[in-house]
Amino acid sequence: MTTAETSLPQGRSETAEPGRRGLPRTLAWLPTWDLITTKNLEIRERRGLMITMAVLIVLPAVLILGLRLLFHAADPNTYSPAGNPGVLSGLSNLLAEFGFIAAAALGAAAGTTDLSDGMFRHLVITGRSRLALYLARIPAGLAILLPLVALAFTMTCLVTSYEGIPNPTSVPLYGLNVPEHLDQAELKTWLLQRPRQDAAGGLPLGAGLPVGPGATAAQVDRSIDKNITMFYGDYLDSGLEAANPADNEMAKIGLWLELEAGIGFLVGLGFGSLTGQRTTTTIVLIALEIIVTPLLAQVQIPYFINGERLVVGIAMDQLRPAALGPGVGAAGAGGGDPGHLLFGAQGALGIPPMPTWAMISVIVGWIVGWSVIGAWRMMTRDA
Amino acid sequence: MNVIYAQAISHQAQLAAVAAGPLGGGGGHNFGLILLAILVLGGLWFGVMRFSRGRRAAPHDEKWVRQEPPSAAPEPPEPPEPPEPPEPPEPPEPPEPPGGTAISPTRMPRAVVASGGWAVETRGLTKRFGANVAVDGVELRVPRGSAFGYLGPNGAGKTTLIRTLLGLTRADGGTMSLLGTRVPAQRSKALARVGAIVDEPRFHPHLTGRQNLRLLAAARGGDAGTRIAPSLARVGLAGRADDRVASYSMGMRQRLGVAACLLAEPELLILDEPMNGLDPAGMHEMRTMIASLAGEGRTVMLSSHLLDEVERTCDAVAIVDHGRVVRQGPIDELIRSAGAVAVQVDCAAPARAAQLIDEAGIAAGTALTDSGLTVALPAGASRDLIADINRRLVRADIDVYGLHETRASLEDWFLSVTSRLGDSS
Repeated sequence: MTTAETSLPQGRSETAEPGRRGLPRTLAWLPTWDLITTKNLEIRERRGLMITMAVLIVLPAVLILGLRLLFHAADPNTYSPAGNPGVLSGLSNLLAEFGFIAAAALGAAAGTTDLSDGMFRHLVITGRSRLALYLARIPAGLAILLPLVALAFTMTCLVTSYEGIPNPTSVPLYGLNVPEHLDQAELKTWLLQRPRQDAAGGLPLGAGLPVGPGATAAQVDRSIDKNITMFYGDYLDSGLEAANPADNEMAKIGLWLELEAGIGFLVGLGFGSLTGQRTTTTIVLIALEIIVTPLLAQVQIPYFINGERLVVGIAMDQLRPAALGPGVGAAGAGGGDPGHLLFGAQGALGIPPMPTWAMISVIVGWIVGWSVIGAWRMMTRDA
Repeated sequence: MNVIYAQAISHQAQLAAVAAGPLGGGGGHNFGLILLAILVLGGLWFGVMRFSRGRRAAPHDEKWVRQEPPSAAPEPPEPPEPPEPPEPPEPPEPPEPPGGTAISPTRMPRAVVASGGWAVETRGLTKRFGANVAVDGVELRVPRGSAFGYLGPNGAGKTTLIRTLLGLTRADGGTMSLLGTRVPAQRSKALARVGAIVDEPRFHPHLTGRQNLRLLAAARGGDAGTRIAPSLARVGLAGRADDRVASYSMGMRQRLGVAACLLAEPELLILDEPMNGLDPAGMHEMRTMIASLAGEGRTVMLSSHLLDEVERTCDAVAIVDHGRVVRQGPIDELIRSAGAVAVQVDCAAPARAAQLIDEAGIAAGTALTDSGLTVALPAGASRDLIADINRRLVRADIDVYGLHETRASLEDWFLSVTSRLGDSS
């Protein structure tokens, strides 16, 4: 150890308070840009974690789309184009599952590595607000996670749009050729404007009503009005099978996937900060995503249905975009709740729909709740 | 068609279920709501309990009652602290600490008391872990500008005290201040001028030394980032700054820890067992580093159980045992006050000289040795007593060839103190 090398600046004031400039005292809990970027550096320098993230988020899309592109290029007659609505839906649903798991692992790492590496103590000794230290992890981690999800989904969208099957000009619905990209109101208007016999000839008008050309105009109108939610659901399902989603539908899917990953990260961060144990946190959240949530959806308890709805995966399922909904005829398919306008509401897990306010409350509750718990533990933990 | 009808009926049933209740299901059973309410109420109750417990324990709380250790000198009660005092007042001459010597900044051998007062001051500081009292009413005062050793056996509570001072764990009682700033009330302000290593210095192993310092500089804010390169150079790590910490030796990590401390341009350095894990060369380097830092006017407080290291490095010490400070003060004065000083008398008639001194009753004891006479000085004796002994011998016509003051080492004194404690307990 040399002591004759460059010495520190001398002439410091005995009473001056070095550092801590910029933010006023009341805003000391806000993380600084430097704090966020260095935390981001700390996370992204973890090679193993970054490789895991890439494998879980990007690799499935690269593999599946790459193989399909290769096969189609080699023999276009035998192998269909690489992109189609089914591939988009399947890859997106896979990305939702794996994205959540990767995000949870990232959040758990971000929430625990300072502790496990012994850096938490150094950070606390700097005098920086512990809340600021916690909050810095959020943008630092999301800045890694969200672009990865966006990259994987963008690849899927590009292949679907430019290397996919050509879009049909109409959607087959009960024997009718309905124009594409109608919303529920537009579909209702379109059906009401059809010649009565055409509409009544194909529509499932419900029990107790004459089916076919014998139905009166008033009966047909009343039936359309009454069943429009179901008709719209079937229309979306048919459209999903037949046509690539429109750009706005793709945007909705992308946003939903980012939300799913963001929730996974924030829950992992909060839970990881609470337990201080990365492995435990990751395992618990993987179990939540791939065991608990599907199990609760499968084994519905009638008198505990509202309790089951408090699971974030169930609420997120209710928010699932229409283009990712279950296929036509899937037993127990949910969706169609008129209250869910945000993303189209095509739950795939089969839990009966929940009101929009309840769904949003559950999602926000998980985000805020785990963030508060994680921050509280960070602020009270012995370093 | 049947499938479609079934779907239609299912959809209608679901819609009806939505309409039936706030969360729309379960045939009117709102167990989910009840569960939610229980969780919310439970969370509120837990939060309130936690908050109230935190307020009870917070040393800076006005309602908090300071615990006086049994042997502490009486002091007027602490006035409630204003929310943001402009600058801490200069502390008056402190009362005699329990069981030891009060340290005055003016009595420090190398005191650099630029602004006066204490770099570290605790009063009745207490920290418990369940039934175990790790820090028991500690009254500690570290003068500014000194190199101060916090000395004690393993498990004496040294690290716990440091962790409490730095806000790494909450105190259960007492007050404390760093550089005249109350903590934890103004923790951020106080720690802005403090650098510390607690326990073994550990860093993110996957980052380089420089990147680790960047992380800490970002947390410190201000111009700490500009001190990264000088700090690395100061501790001799400039050449390895871009290597991963995983490849660093223990000594290099210790040095990186010191570099991390220097980012704050600290007035006070708190080093917990800085020699741990170092080889002799590393210990020598660390000792030199500490001396140079103290020589710059910084206060260096180091805890250790290595008595020799403390004696070589520090001006003053506090001895801690079972969570309590049992002695504190400048090393020379502590040893002298404990009666660990003797005089070797080389004279013509040692036996007669011993008898003379014993009859005068001015010494703690005499002993005849092969080399002559050893006179143990009483506790707290000044050097004038040595001259007095010489005078008495000369007046008694005893030829005196030499008087040599011998002092026990810190280790000897420490062992005598601790054995005395053992006897009394």
